[in-house]
Amino acid sequence: MFKHLFKLIWNKRKQNFLFLSEILVSFLVIFAVFSLLTFYYLNYMLPKGFESERVWSVSYSRNAKTNNIDSLNIFYENVRRSLKALPEIEELSFTSANFPYSNSHSTTGFTYKGKEMSPINNYVVEDDYNKVLGMQLLEGRWFNKEDINQRSVVINSTLKQAMFGDEPAAGKIVGADNEEEKWKVIGVTADVKAEGDYWPAGKSFYKRLDTGSFRWVGHILLKVSPKADAAFESRLSKLLARIIQNSNTEIQHMEDTRESKNSDTVIPMIICITVAGFLIINVALGLFGVLWYNISQRRGEIGLRRAIGATGSSVSFQLVSESLLLATLSIILGSFFALQFPLLNVFNVAASVYIIALLLSIAFIYLLVIFCSLYPGKQAAAIHPAVALHEE
Amino acid sequence: MIRLQNIEKVYRTDTVETLAINGINLDIAKGEFLSIMGPSGCGKSTLLNIMGLLDEPSKGSIRIADQDITRFSDQQLAKFRNQKLGFIFQSYHLINDLQVLDNVELPLLYRSGSAKERRELATEALAKVGLSNRIKHFPTQLSGGQRQRVAIARAIVGRPQIILADEPTGNLDSAMGNEIMDILISLNKNDGTTIVMVTHDENMAHKTHRLVRLFDGSQVQ
Amino acid sequence: MLKNYFKIAIAVLKRRKFFTFISLFGISFTLTILMVTTAFFDKMLSPSYPDYKRNRSLYITGVALVSSKNGWYNGSSASFYFLDHYVLKLKTPEKIGIFSFSAKANAYVNNKKVVMEYKYTDANYWEIAEYQFLEGKPYTKQQIDNGERVGVISESNKRNYFGDAKSVVGKYIEADNVSYRIIGVVKDLPRSMRNFYGDLYLPYTVSKGNYKDVGFQGGFGAVLLAKSEADVPKMRTEYQQMLSKIPTNDKEYDKLYAHADTMLESMSRKLFGNDENVGISRMIAIVSLFILLFLLLPTINLVNINITRIMERSSEIGVRKAFGASSKTLVYQFIVENVILTLLGGVIGVFLSIVCIFLFNQSDILPNLNLSLNFTVLVFGFLICLFFGLLSGVYPAWRMSRLNVVNALKAQ
Repeated sequence: MFKHLFKLIWNKRKQNFLFLSEILVSFLVIFAVFSLLTFYYLNYMLPKGFESERVWSVSYSRNAKTNNIDSLNIFYENVRRSLKALPEIEELSFTSANFPYSNSHSTTGFTYKGKEMSPINNYVVEDDYNKVLGMQLLEGRWFNKEDINQRSVVINSTLKQAMFGDEPAAGKIVGADNEEEKWKVIGVTADVKAEGDYWPAGKSFYKRLDTGSFRWVGHILLKVSPKADAAFESRLSKLLARIIQNSNTEIQHMEDTRESKNSDTVIPMIICITVAGFLIINVALGLFGVLWYNISQRRGEIGLRRAIGATGSSVSFQLVSESLLLATLSIILGSFFALQFPLLNVFNVAASVYIIALLLSIAFIYLLVIFCSLYPGKQAAAIHPAVALHEE
Repeated sequence: MIRLQNIEKVYRTDTVETLAINGINLDIAKGEFLSIMGPSGCGKSTLLNIMGLLDEPSKGSIRIADQDITRFSDQQLAKFRNQKLGFIFQSYHLINDLQVLDNVELPLLYRSGSAKERRELATEALAKVGLSNRIKHFPTQLSGGQRQRVAIARAIVGRPQIILADEPTGNLDSAMGNEIMDILISLNKNDGTTIVMVTHDENMAHKTHRLVRLFDGSQVQ
Repeated sequence: MLKNYFKIAIAVLKRRKFFTFISLFGISFTLTILMVTTAFFDKMLSPSYPDYKRNRSLYITGVALVSSKNGWYNGSSASFYFLDHYVLKLKTPEKIGIFSFSAKANAYVNNKKVVMEYKYTDANYWEIAEYQFLEGKPYTKQQIDNGERVGVISESNKRNYFGDAKSVVGKYIEADNVSYRIIGVVKDLPRSMRNFYGDLYLPYTVSKGNYKDVGFQGGFGAVLLAKSEADVPKMRTEYQQMLSKIPTNDKEYDKLYAHADTMLESMSRKLFGNDENVGISRMIAIVSLFILLFLLLPTINLVNINITRIMERSSEIGVRKAFGASSKTLVYQFIVENVILTLLGGVIGVFLSIVCIFLFNQSDILPNLNLSLNFTVLVFGFLICLFFGLLSGVYPAWRMSRLNVVNALKAQ
């Protein structure tokens, strides 16, 4: 029977060409949307890797009159002391501008054993940074006073996996193969999804803020206690204006920036789904119409099949199978294109994302085709052979 | 072989009731070649459809091949048509998108059996109608007579006991018509197939064993 | 003849309601999406509040220093010094306005946090940008020179900070722990107006940052206003001549880029171009490719349905041919029919677009961004419709013209 249907389709290839191309294009559209959704979903399911609740960020403009490192250090130590003195502030850390959800990026990169490692997020942080963010240490230790003037680095689990696989990383020396710039790994931390809940953490490199850094650092992260409210924020703002004079300061809550960062992903995604959804409704209606018409064109054939012993259900089964077979041809062709994405490693996304998206799209197209051909197939089963055979 | 008792067929529309067949009794013996004649609209095609189990009578009972099919389900009817009956139509009803061989194989697709077996049976049937050299052609590449021969091959490929032919020569010129007729007669004679044929053509009708005339839904002869 | 075609077209559409519905659905929804997108771009690019003089304006938004030897690139907005010292010397522009890009500041009112974006400007800025003052007026050059702590606020900022207060001119607003006296309130504008958006406008002389720093990069931008649209190229030439004479003042960097672009140019440069190339042609190519891809699916669908429609009418076509219609007239008839169908879809599409735009404007996804269907958008929609109608009609019509009369007549 299968071979028979295949012949029927093959001999009608000219008429079926448009049907095929329509399913092919829909398949590719669906594949693109599902890839995106799978990518986001898989990332969303991963742990955030830190706690953004009750974390505030302070940005200040650096309008200090001096560039002398010693006086800068004294000045910012003073800032630190004043803030620490507040009971509402539990932890604090100065940081480079690229803290989580900040829209700021700094990357570095090197090759390790011939493998390209870039881009690697380059974070410059202090000893208490992990406490402020509640980061989880997987191996080794975080920075402390021992690391002053040492080339110590903490890497995240993604970078560790990329470089060392399952071996322990603490104590290893990292850096470009042929450069002097070498760093000693002292710890491995869990991945921090700094780009929002829907994006992967990427490879990360944490360096300790050294004494010369206050010339360019402009951000402080605070972990505040549950008692910290708007009144406290107002007092904090006044205090900051007093101690960092002549500066514009801005306090943001990490939960708010997280929300806006997530909506940067979610809103385009919703637009994408809506447009794709409309395209698919369009296609579904079109398929439905064409199949319906085909059946009215093939009344004679259907009548004959009934006359020579096909039951009603076998006729509708045949029509649904024909559509499914056609869909299969398109899917095979479409999968060939779709498989190029993981094979060529386009967009640097894990192959599993594409594979899951591919399977989902295949299932979706089959469901769509079954849905569109079920009713016309039923109509065909209801054709009365005596009537159909007499029409011509 | 076929026994019709008190068959009546009424077509109802919203306003009109048409009596297509009115109290027909007919007994057709095994191995008989029967022709049915009558003017257009006399109900002969309806009668053939009823015998072919494509249509249900409004009243009366039918026995075919010693089975009462009045209470058969759709499934049973389909199976019965497939195994016991063969159809030939005036307008051939070949599937234009399939090659001749595939068209002939069609009834066997609704049975069990291997592809090889089907192929052998279909080739054999085509040989019987003298079309062995056309098996890879498409129906549109054939003449009317050749098409009807394909249709006959399709009707006999399943080795049915009964063949129902609805004006098989109606679309053909007399030479081709005679050719078709000869094939039917030899089928009847050699294989013992029971044939019921509806026709307009007196000459063709006279070549058969028995002639039944219908007028306005009733048997007149 | 055309009237006859029209009658037949309507009759045909009525006969097969389901196919008509599918076609119209496809056409109208495709058009809606394209029209809303166009309305969006139109809003971005054509003059709108408060930037009504966009057609004769060039904008300087960035300064980049490049070291071609090391491959370093250092880009940022312009410094006040760069604009004041070089750009203000230009002769052709009628006016030059300088502004800073807005930055956020916090204020705390009754223990409620108010975030506002402040923006420093000079006095010319208020003459170029036509803000609608709900009360008060902008600050003058005199006030700027005196370094007075005065400010103009936006309507929404007034509401956030003062609640339902009727008049706020003369009151003080505190941002980053500095108080400014309010001298004006302006109507809100959407954030997409990056060069003009702000909640609190202040004289550049009260800036906490050091606007007197000698360097090319800082937080500022400028708008150059030509006397007329025809003067824009002249202004551009003068600007470029001036720019080419500026030394980079830095051994490391050998190239200085600071583009004075129109709105369209700065958008295409940001998305598709680079410092050497505005990227307009690339933008056109990529955008048209994208539109074509987007149209692909609805088009295939429509072609599919059109072919079905034609095959269904094969006997009508056979009769027409038998009675002497040439293939050409039939093709012509069919294309006219299809264009009528697409135009009908277009009308529905316009209606749907109006609904979508209304819903968009009502929702606060992008506050104060009010899209509208203007003439440009409508013309664009009409063109898409025609294109769509022809595209989806040609192939089926060709198939139809090859239809064999005998077979067509037999089909019924």
